[in-house]
Amino acid sequence: MSSDSAFVRATDAVMAQLRTRLRPVWDAICTVLAPLDRALQPVAGLYNRSLGRHFGTMTGLQFAVITLGFAMIATVPFWSPLYSETLNITFAVASIWAIFAMSWDIQSGYTGYISFGHSVLSGAAGYTIGLLILHYDPSMGPLTTIPIAVLASLVLGLVIAVPSLRLRGPYFSLITLVGVLLFTNLIFAFSEWTNGELGIHQVDPFTYEPWVRYYYMAIPMLAIAVGLTYVARSNVGMVLLTIRENERAVSSAGLDPTKFKISSFVLSSIPMGIGGALLVYYGRAINPVSFVEISNSIEIIALAVIGGMGSIIGPLFGSFLFFFLEEEFLRDFIDDSSTRTLVLWLFVLGVLVFARNGVFRVVWHGLGAVRGDSE
Amino acid sequence: MFSGLPTVLVNAALISALYALIAIGFTMIFGVGGVLNLAHGALLMAGAYAYLLLARDTISVPVFESMTLHPLIAFPIAVVTVAVLSYLLYVVIVQFVEDNPIVTFLATIVVALAATEVVIHYAGASTHTYTLIPSDLLPSTVGFGPVDGILTVDVVGFVVSWVAIGLLWLYVTKTDSGRAIRATSMTERGARLTGVNVHAVRARTWLVAGALAGIGGVFLGASASATPGMWLQPLSLAFIIVVIGGIGSIKGSIVAAYLIGFLQTGVGEYLGQNFRGILSLVLLIAVLFMLPQGLFGREFHE
Repeated sequence: MSSDSAFVRATDAVMAQLRTRLRPVWDAICTVLAPLDRALQPVAGLYNRSLGRHFGTMTGLQFAVITLGFAMIATVPFWSPLYSETLNITFAVASIWAIFAMSWDIQSGYTGYISFGHSVLSGAAGYTIGLLILHYDPSMGPLTTIPIAVLASLVLGLVIAVPSLRLRGPYFSLITLVGVLLFTNLIFAFSEWTNGELGIHQVDPFTYEPWVRYYYMAIPMLAIAVGLTYVARSNVGMVLLTIRENERAVSSAGLDPTKFKISSFVLSSIPMGIGGALLVYYGRAINPVSFVEISNSIEIIALAVIGGMGSIIGPLFGSFLFFFLEEEFLRDFIDDSSTRTLVLWLFVLGVLVFARNGVFRVVWHGLGAVRGDSE
Repeated sequence: MFSGLPTVLVNAALISALYALIAIGFTMIFGVGGVLNLAHGALLMAGAYAYLLLARDTISVPVFESMTLHPLIAFPIAVVTVAVLSYLLYVVIVQFVEDNPIVTFLATIVVALAATEVVIHYAGASTHTYTLIPSDLLPSTVGFGPVDGILTVDVVGFVVSWVAIGLLWLYVTKTDSGRAIRATSMTERGARLTGVNVHAVRARTWLVAGALAGIGGVFLGASASATPGMWLQPLSLAFIIVVIGGIGSIKGSIVAAYLIGFLQTGVGEYLGQNFRGILSLVLLIAVLFMLPQGLFGREFHE
């Protein structure tokens, strides 16, 4: 921008300086990793030829890292005691929030219509289960309640999407934010049904065994990750991205952007409902603080932004990183929980201001560029 | 049912002035930079806690441990502090991201959440109440005729708000630096062509808006209480008012503040406090759909 202040210019200069200084370090890393990348290329080639057109092609190193990442997520209960006793639980929670972050991403990250109200969707699923168990039939199991809950968040998603997607830019974000405030207000206004601030506590969990519980959260998460990546890499994902970049181009191609925007919201509501239901059976309670309030929506966005909006896997990565930092890593240095949260928010702010495309993208493109054929 | 009507009306009129003050700061920032400052509520909170820190010894923070300044001294210091914080918020964070409305949106709300944690860390999650008007100076409640039990602090808040709004009006219509703000909010290109330093104008607007938020925050905390979550309610109020009045319009904010002030007080009084926010939010949704540019606003340009 032409009106940059001295402060902005100074910061830019420092950043440029830093980049030149770090150049030799990066070159050294490349020299080490490039042979490894080349060695792994045949395996990645196999993947690229078979599944690459559905999920995107990768270089050898990228393929190795992704495979390793998924393998680690799939085996958390086996190796987590090596790090800490609570890691199991941390990653179970991270899985649920990863579902939220990925669901948010397929709608907001891809279409650029930023929703500030996604916690309403998971909240709808949560409260549906809570109200069913509390007021209809306490013996209802997850197999009956979860489909109803997902349906509820789907319906609410449509109720929000159809009128609000007529608005653009900040106005759309504003109305989704209002949706959260309205929902929170309604919970308090109908306290005799919802127990207001205290919430509903009559839900039985899936299981009390921690490692089994982890898989109850991680398996749906991985399935949703694969499903959403597939959609995102398909023609539908391409159209959604085009809506973000140039909505008129979509209309010119004879496609109805409104239809795609609404379907992206629906596509997002379904996993949001699943995640909300999992959160109920994980935490055994539904209350406004942990489900609906505005900070939940912001946290979902923060997870997606840390990882990198518009990439599905980025938000997954962001969620695991965030919860690892919050519940494990920072706990070793900072005892006070509010300071810890503060440090985390400052980290999010730093990513927002200085690495808008997210940490995962930086790592990913770095991995892709070790052989120097792309930058 | 309507026995307390005069009191309710007076209360609504008093609180509406404060709402207008809060909304004007919010709308000015949008006017000149196209930034929806979601940290505006956090600035209000900063006002309340800065005053608490200076004038009361209920929270213990190093350096300010047992500081009890006279309200007349503490109040202006608190206001200036918030103005400076608001200015710093622009210089340190917002100016880096203001070209992207969505990142700005996110960055400012993250600032608000971080502010909540700072407050919890230093002052605890509990509620703090304080008196702004010393009881030896003025009685704590006033009444006349059918109106009784009006809090003096609300009356003083009303007067101070209108004085601040009046001064702001003089500033943006009579002085060159104020007119530069108005020019920039009308057309940035035009302002640039007539030699306005748009960057300096933006920074100045954040300073002015911060001062308004400081005044609003101190009175808001005094008439209710100071809590770490106190930023959300006034922020959503500022939202509602600004959208109904028209984003960027000072006149619209005042009109809408009175509309919402009366609506909320009326609903709170006769339907129950839990329904206080709901009707205003529904009104907001209706306005967004039927009159997206608000009562006095102009169309939002992307």
